[in-house]
Amino acid sequence: MPVPRLQFESISKVFPAVRALNDVSFSVGAGEIHGLLGENGAGKSTLLRILSGVYRPTAGSVLIDGRPVTLNNPVAARAAGVAMIHQELQQVPRLSVAQNMFLGHPLTRGGVFVARREQERRAASALAAIDPSIDPAAPLGSLKVAQRQIVEIARALLDRARIVAMDEPTSSLTPSEFERLAQVIAGLARDGVAVVYVSHKLDEVFGICQRATIMRDGVVVDSVDLAKVSEKAVVAMMVGRELAQEQHRSHASGDVRLSVRGLASAAKVRDVSFGLHRGEVLGIAGLVGSGRTELLRLLAGADRASAGTIEIDGKSVKLSSPREAIAAGIGLVPEERKREGIVPLRSISSNMALASMSVFAPRGVIDHTKLKQVASEKMKRVNLRPFLLDRPIRLFSGGNQQKAIIGRWLAAGTRILLFDEPTRGIDVGAKAEIYHLIEELAAEGHSVVVVSSELPEVIRLADRVLVMRDGAVAAELDRASLSEQAIAAHAIPQTKMQAGQTHAGRSAGPQARQ
Amino acid sequence: MTDIGQDTAARPRADFLHRFSMRDAGTLIGLVVILAVFGALVPGFFAERNLINILQQSSINACLALGMTLVIISGGIDLSVGPTAALSAVISASMLVAGVPFVLAIAAGLAIGLACGLLNGILVAHVGLQPFIVTLGTLSTYRALALIYTGGNPVLGLPPGFRAIFNGSLFGLPMSVIIVAAVALVAWVVLKKTPFGEYLLAVGGNEEAAYIAGVPIARTKIAAYMISGLLAALAAQILIGRLGAAEPILGNLWELDAIAAAAIGGASLMGGKGSVVGTILGAVILGTMRNGLTLMNVQSFYQLLATGLIILAAMLIDRVTRGRG
Repeated sequence: MPVPRLQFESISKVFPAVRALNDVSFSVGAGEIHGLLGENGAGKSTLLRILSGVYRPTAGSVLIDGRPVTLNNPVAARAAGVAMIHQELQQVPRLSVAQNMFLGHPLTRGGVFVARREQERRAASALAAIDPSIDPAAPLGSLKVAQRQIVEIARALLDRARIVAMDEPTSSLTPSEFERLAQVIAGLARDGVAVVYVSHKLDEVFGICQRATIMRDGVVVDSVDLAKVSEKAVVAMMVGRELAQEQHRSHASGDVRLSVRGLASAAKVRDVSFGLHRGEVLGIAGLVGSGRTELLRLLAGADRASAGTIEIDGKSVKLSSPREAIAAGIGLVPEERKREGIVPLRSISSNMALASMSVFAPRGVIDHTKLKQVASEKMKRVNLRPFLLDRPIRLFSGGNQQKAIIGRWLAAGTRILLFDEPTRGIDVGAKAEIYHLIEELAAEGHSVVVVSSELPEVIRLADRVLVMRDGAVAAELDRASLSEQAIAAHAIPQTKMQAGQTHAGRSAGPQARQ
Repeated sequence: MTDIGQDTAARPRADFLHRFSMRDAGTLIGLVVILAVFGALVPGFFAERNLINILQQSSINACLALGMTLVIISGGIDLSVGPTAALSAVISASMLVAGVPFVLAIAAGLAIGLACGLLNGILVAHVGLQPFIVTLGTLSTYRALALIYTGGNPVLGLPPGFRAIFNGSLFGLPMSVIIVAAVALVAWVVLKKTPFGEYLLAVGGNEEAAYIAGVPIARTKIAAYMISGLLAALAAQILIGRLGAAEPILGNLWELDAIAAAAIGGASLMGGKGSVVGTILGAVILGTMRNGLTLMNVQSFYQLLATGLIILAAMLIDRVTRGRG
């Protein structure tokens, strides 16, 4: 057996009070694409930080081509041939593609002037191998997210990286963009690069990786040959138990709670009409930019409608601000939790109470005893873990932040809950909890709208699905006619059908902003 | 993940400690160290008279810094506090000289402060301009108005009865200290115990999220600037009461001392973070430095140097200890 390109040997990393990694060993061969799987907190990020020189291991060593290497800092890691491609790209949008590729170590003439032309020439030659359509002189900000990923990979090529580690590279890519990226990654592997590929999306990992290492609580559960295991088995290894396949159950009743007619906005939404019943979970599917998020924002009062009427319990309402929408009983659980959901420095209690402050301060001063009592009750209800109500919300995992936002609407007495990508960036175990919670809320009589790019999620949760295309409702599917194929068929414009068909079963496309 | 939240229900002592945050404790330790150093170096530093002096000298800056703290927490900044104070001072003073009743003259001065803050707030919250630029613009504008109004001359000869209001003392403490202490108490209650306080922290901490959660963004920001303007005007009343005259150039560079006090006290210029207790301690630290160094006959150049170093040291300690507690 040849010497592996990359080998982790008994790596341990101990932080004050936490053992983040314990005796982690596995290896990745040259030309291999190796998946790294695990829930949030399993230790994947810590391991990648060790590989990229951000952290030093407490014990153990990293071997490259059989030789132990000292990766004391990111510069040393780069010199050793490790390139790291981050989930949130670390690039400067205003600078050109070439400037970004030479960021931190520009080519110079005489050590003083930046050799711009030469940078662009070399950038072009690196890009030519993978995506010649990218202009090295163009400002990076003008590129799509997928192209920016490719620029990062080209940068790795420039550095002659022998190991490329990718952290959730596809979290905001469309299926066709993913396809392109997958080809580029396969190309890297053909050139003998060892690729470590971290993703939450199991189908992708199964699609492009040969082997995968599954981590849980800082230890390696197993390294497996992906051709020989099932997705279900891998999930069980990640979570540490079998996740039950739940059956869908409907709680919808006859009463129409929300009735939308002819709703439109200047931005994206065209003539949308639908009704939402008491206890119903309405799914909204569609491609990127089909107007799903924009529709939810109209209903949440975050954006203004240009036409149409909205009725709640038969009474016409005007929703020109989130405040008005909340008063009418509507609450939005936004897609981008960090940007639109949480106030990071504030406690769980404060974040929960934000939408219903006036309830807690009937005479102008906040009744903290009452607030604490309600927070305790709602957070038990959503199963917050750890149960620390005074702790700043930024210290909680994505799943628990999401639970606190749901608790916010429960405390505000919201009857219509709008979820935009409810499980984006949330790990498998917490995902199941969020699903349960949504179902329980419906059973209690809440009306729920779920926008999701993950078709299995929509199918798992929704009593009925609206498929959006180009800002309008293209189809309404009830449970009987609900399938991934049916959704995809309506979501994809007819002309693109041919090209899109190969991805129909996978996803209708994650949604990218801007 | 460990479950250590079993006993969140009743912990009054821990709750008290929680309210008096680690950051405020740090500022207090800083103050104690500075007091100890001056106590050792300057004979008579701890005399009651001198300590009261320090409080009195800190009171005007503390008053401004409290308003500044609220604005900074909301994610903004108010550079116009000095000129706001000057405008309020010259208008109150000219009314007083013209024989207008004290209450009316003071009320008019405070109303000027509110109006200056209202304009700042509207430009920031409704027009959407950047707070730094807005208040830089109104800094010049308000100063110019004060100069134009007075023709550049000081307003002299304020009635003794008006001066007595702010120069008296209560329980052995100067009126100015009592007034600012009362303001600080109100500010503390506002920040810790009212929806407005929560809204300030939320708007400064994450405006987009606050908006989605139904927080009245514009109203909250405008209120913060109006409070800042009001407190600048209050500081102006205290000052002209003490001096017996109002100069249109009064309050020059006040904004910098106020920002310094807030920053030493733990306010983050990124917004979403700040403390009333910390700001008061910050203002007292700056006042103590000035008092102590003056008593030591240190040249004003070196006083400036010391103030600068204190601010930088506070920020460094902040940086090093962040992420804990």
